[in-house]
Amino acid sequence: MAKIGGWVGKVLRVDLSTGRISTENTIEKYKDYLGGTGIGYKVIWDEVPMGTKPFDPANKIIFTVGPLAGTGAPCNGRTAVTTLWPTCWPKPLVASGHMGGSFAAELKYAGYDGIVIEGKADHPVWLSIIDGQVQIKDARHLWGQGIRRTTIEIAQQLGPEASVAAIGQAGENLVPMSVVMNSFSHSAGGVGAIMGSKNLKAIGVHGTGSVYIAGNKEEWEKIIKLHLSLLGANNQHVVPNKPQPWAEYYHPGSRWVASSGRKWGAADPAIDTGACDPHNLHRIAYRTNSAAYFLGADAWQYTVRGNGCSSCPIRCHTMLKVPSAASKYGISEIGQNTCMGLLFGRVFFKPPPDGPRGQAAIEACMVGMSLADDLGIWCNYGQLQRDFVRLYYNGTIKSKLDEKEFKSYSWDKYEKDDPSFLFELLPRIASKEGELGTALGLGTGYMLERWGIPEEEWTKDYRLWYWKMGHPKHHANEDAGQCGVIINTQYNRDAQCHSHPNFTRNGLPIDVQKRLAAEIWGSPDAVDAVSAYTPMNIYKAKMAKWSLLRKELHDSLSLCNWMGPWVASPLKERGYRGDDSIESLLYSLATGDKKSRQELDQVAERIFLLHRALTIRDMGTKEMRTRHDTIPEWVFKDPSGKALYTKGTIHMDKEDMNMAMDMYYEEMAWDKKTGIPTVTTYQKLGLGKVADELSKKGLLP
Amino acid sequence: MEQQETICLAIVRIIRERSETGQLAQPKEILAELIGQGLLKSEAGDERYHFETVLKEVVEKNEDIKEISGSDGIPCYYSALSLSETYARILIQKKENPLSLMAEIVRENSSIYPRPVPLDIFKESPFDFTQGELLVCLKKMAEQREYQDIAQAITSIGTIFLYSTQHLEPDYASSLAEWLDVGQVNNP
Amino acid sequence: MSHQDEKHEILELALNFVGLNHPFSRREFLLISGVTVVGISALGAKAGKKIPLIIMDKAEGIIIADPTKCVGCRRCELACTEFNDGKASPTMARIKVNRNLNFGPKGVYTGQRGQGNWGNGLITQDCCKQCPHPVPCANSCPNDAIVVQPPTNARVVDAKKCIGCKMCQKACPWEMMSFDSDMNKATKCFLCNGTPKCVEACPAEALNYVAWRDVTDKVPPRVIPTAVIPTEKVAACIQCHKK
Repeated sequence: MAKIGGWVGKVLRVDLSTGRISTENTIEKYKDYLGGTGIGYKVIWDEVPMGTKPFDPANKIIFTVGPLAGTGAPCNGRTAVTTLWPTCWPKPLVASGHMGGSFAAELKYAGYDGIVIEGKADHPVWLSIIDGQVQIKDARHLWGQGIRRTTIEIAQQLGPEASVAAIGQAGENLVPMSVVMNSFSHSAGGVGAIMGSKNLKAIGVHGTGSVYIAGNKEEWEKIIKLHLSLLGANNQHVVPNKPQPWAEYYHPGSRWVASSGRKWGAADPAIDTGACDPHNLHRIAYRTNSAAYFLGADAWQYTVRGNGCSSCPIRCHTMLKVPSAASKYGISEIGQNTCMGLLFGRVFFKPPPDGPRGQAAIEACMVGMSLADDLGIWCNYGQLQRDFVRLYYNGTIKSKLDEKEFKSYSWDKYEKDDPSFLFELLPRIASKEGELGTALGLGTGYMLERWGIPEEEWTKDYRLWYWKMGHPKHHANEDAGQCGVIINTQYNRDAQCHSHPNFTRNGLPIDVQKRLAAEIWGSPDAVDAVSAYTPMNIYKAKMAKWSLLRKELHDSLSLCNWMGPWVASPLKERGYRGDDSIESLLYSLATGDKKSRQELDQVAERIFLLHRALTIRDMGTKEMRTRHDTIPEWVFKDPSGKALYTKGTIHMDKEDMNMAMDMYYEEMAWDKKTGIPTVTTYQKLGLGKVADELSKKGLLP
Repeated sequence: MEQQETICLAIVRIIRERSETGQLAQPKEILAELIGQGLLKSEAGDERYHFETVLKEVVEKNEDIKEISGSDGIPCYYSALSLSETYARILIQKKENPLSLMAEIVRENSSIYPRPVPLDIFKESPFDFTQGELLVCLKKMAEQREYQDIAQAITSIGTIFLYSTQHLEPDYASSLAEWLDVGQVNNP
Repeated sequence: MSHQDEKHEILELALNFVGLNHPFSRREFLLISGVTVVGISALGAKAGKKIPLIIMDKAEGIIIADPTKCVGCRRCELACTEFNDGKASPTMARIKVNRNLNFGPKGVYTGQRGQGNWGNGLITQDCCKQCPHPVPCANSCPNDAIVVQPPTNARVVDAKKCIGCKMCQKACPWEMMSFDSDMNKATKCFLCNGTPKCVEACPAEALNYVAWRDVTDKVPPRVIPTAVIPTEKVAACIQCHKK
């Protein structure tokens, strides 16, 4: 048999209660689950019994990567973190977070495809991994320190190349809304407190080994170059955001913001990003500037450069240098992050007078990053901030806090959008100080419960974005109509699936999108123009299934679902086509395990199905359709009362969504009435044993 | 014949070089360049006729060399190796009729994507309108009958978008403008 | 025949080989004609292991890096080893970025005041300078395994001759030598026969392959070399340079 590449062969098992460290053979035990969330769900299914709570020592936290992590495949820097989710309400269930940075690659070079951590240390510890040498080390001197100091002190021991994934005070204090972070700005949300509950302050890895490519190295080089040629900008947006000399199309909402005249202004000296013709693979890194996209044109002058995960040419993090923020607020001049991480600080406030994209907004973001990324606080896709704004302005906070605590906050500063307010609020969330600090750190579900606010108040108001089980929507109907809604019903936290908005927002004209859709999902009717939705059809169900499966595939292979899949491209000569089999081509060559696109999608389906089975088992119900796959009321209402299927509305039709769920379950070969997989489906995907166990509990249709 | 071949190659090179810098090549510019290089002697008479013949041949024989005419009928040339037709059209209209350029962009965006266009896009390259020019265009569009389909939508943060009622209903245009300006960023 | 006589005989052969038969001193000859003594090993039988290899030819090209454009993606390191060796092995990469990525060349003790991702953002990409004579790595090799490879004249490890002693790792002032632990051989930047893969892979135009020039006196060393030069080579240096 040809040699095996990709995987490096060992999964590390660490029991913090006993101090026992051992390894398992990745391929023998987990090959059929690939890596990442695949291994995560498998371990939870096999080893974490129903009824386990997130902070129990018996809960496991699983840091896993896939066979492509650490290779030269573009966009492979992701580590999946799977565990029982502490903000999942009312009952914690399995979920996964993801962090980028350098951790995934470094773990592979150290010789591990993943780490499974269980138990609880009796004092604060950190896990040290230097190639084959794994030690549980005392972290008492680090406990109480922020993520930044922790990282630097561990790097002093392991060397400057080490990757350190650490929690801040929030995780230590068992604040459910906490993160683990590596490489300065790359966090996995929701899991910080799990590590904290195990007294695990950090994992530091340094590896000097290799990831082998099983296939012929010239073939590998070819496929990498093909993949690079199909890349767009962040989120695989494939057209520039204004006319460029080379471009047939453009889209003001695109994240491809490079242009002649737009410079990395804080580079030394400044660098013009230029026209960035897609054929020039040497300028991929200039296409994206997340800070400019989210914070407006003012951000260009503060941009030092892009940053991001190992191996990724996109650089979706932006490194900003804002001296005014440093001098006003005593923070570092330099901050960096992307997306919600970038916006963390600003969205606590109503938009400032100079708008959501002005100097004040930028400074608020700098303060937010400086605090949150050191304390290790999670935003839950901005739900923390949306809840806060609502609860303050509707008087709830005032009514729930005693007078002393309420007066201890400078609400006048808050109302004036003064970012220095965050210095009062965020540390108190991280240390669970006071009623407000405690409540906000619980996550929406538990916070509403604590304050006696019925969930219905949140599910009926579109402005809160709340979906279910304590978490918000994440690319739902506003992005992709029925397809987006289906996707948002499927998880135990916000869906974190980007397969579908990457396509719908790619900037191509609707006719081109429809032409591509026909090739990928069987009909141009799979996609509608934004807010011009048409009734449900089978092709939208296929798109939903594809989106979900590819997300799990990416999370298990280590490919970035914020960039993939790559079904559209910026190349006119290809008709803007990407390649739907990029994942299987990379996988087959790297590992030596040849799988077609369909075969690999089947493995993804197995992984997704295991997540489904876990959810069913731990909810203890067959009634997934009615009890889990729920859709909040606001999805069905239009704030200005527009009729359904009118252009300009994004609200959905209940009957149509019922049909949508029917079609989705049919597509998945699940029971339509209950929404649970059938025994045939489990068996077809190699999960016969899973079906048996569920059968014993009466959880099959 | 040799001369013809040399002139052909020179014309191709001139057009391609100008395209690489993001510009169209006007016939008179090409002619001046050829005279400057000593390949043609004058702008008039037989020489002129010769030039125009060769130019036609260049377009026929080179797949990447394209001709594009403004509303005055005078063609310009570009190389598709560097410039898209979309961009070439913007360049040619920019010179002769900014108002009609603006309208065409608005209508095209409203039709093919479909979506409204932020007004500010016209201040940036390749449009490069000044604030004053923009306001003049807006005023003229409000007054002249042929531009009655061009309408404005304003988002919740005060950004102005333009769209064509020929292709987008007002409600739809408003919601799309809001999505582009506010919604997409708020749904990161 | 004494060692010295053997050397003399070889050099006479070399002079004949290039069509000269003139009583220049060895040093003068080499300076004027630029003929490398490397060629001697091609002469065959007369050239034994005891004759040291001194690289004189300059390289044709060099990789120059711009730290103000490096975005820290490490695709250069990955291209170097994946496309040349079939494995992703940044530790073995012949262009070295990861060691400066987080804190800069001065390392972790600079905290957030240095360079790199944790400092001011600058990432120094360390590249082989394809040193002119005297070439530290080549001179330290006890088995003359570092040779010049036409047409680039890059200084290259001849894997057949490398005995894996790692002396070259200690010789380079910029710590640019790599070691392939699977093969137990040293390896170094060989300019990929004229189209360096790292330069090709960079998505930020932060690497350039340009005509060679001497940058050895322009880049501060990373370490103080602790290699030992084999005595045969010491002898050759003295022979060549004395009047």
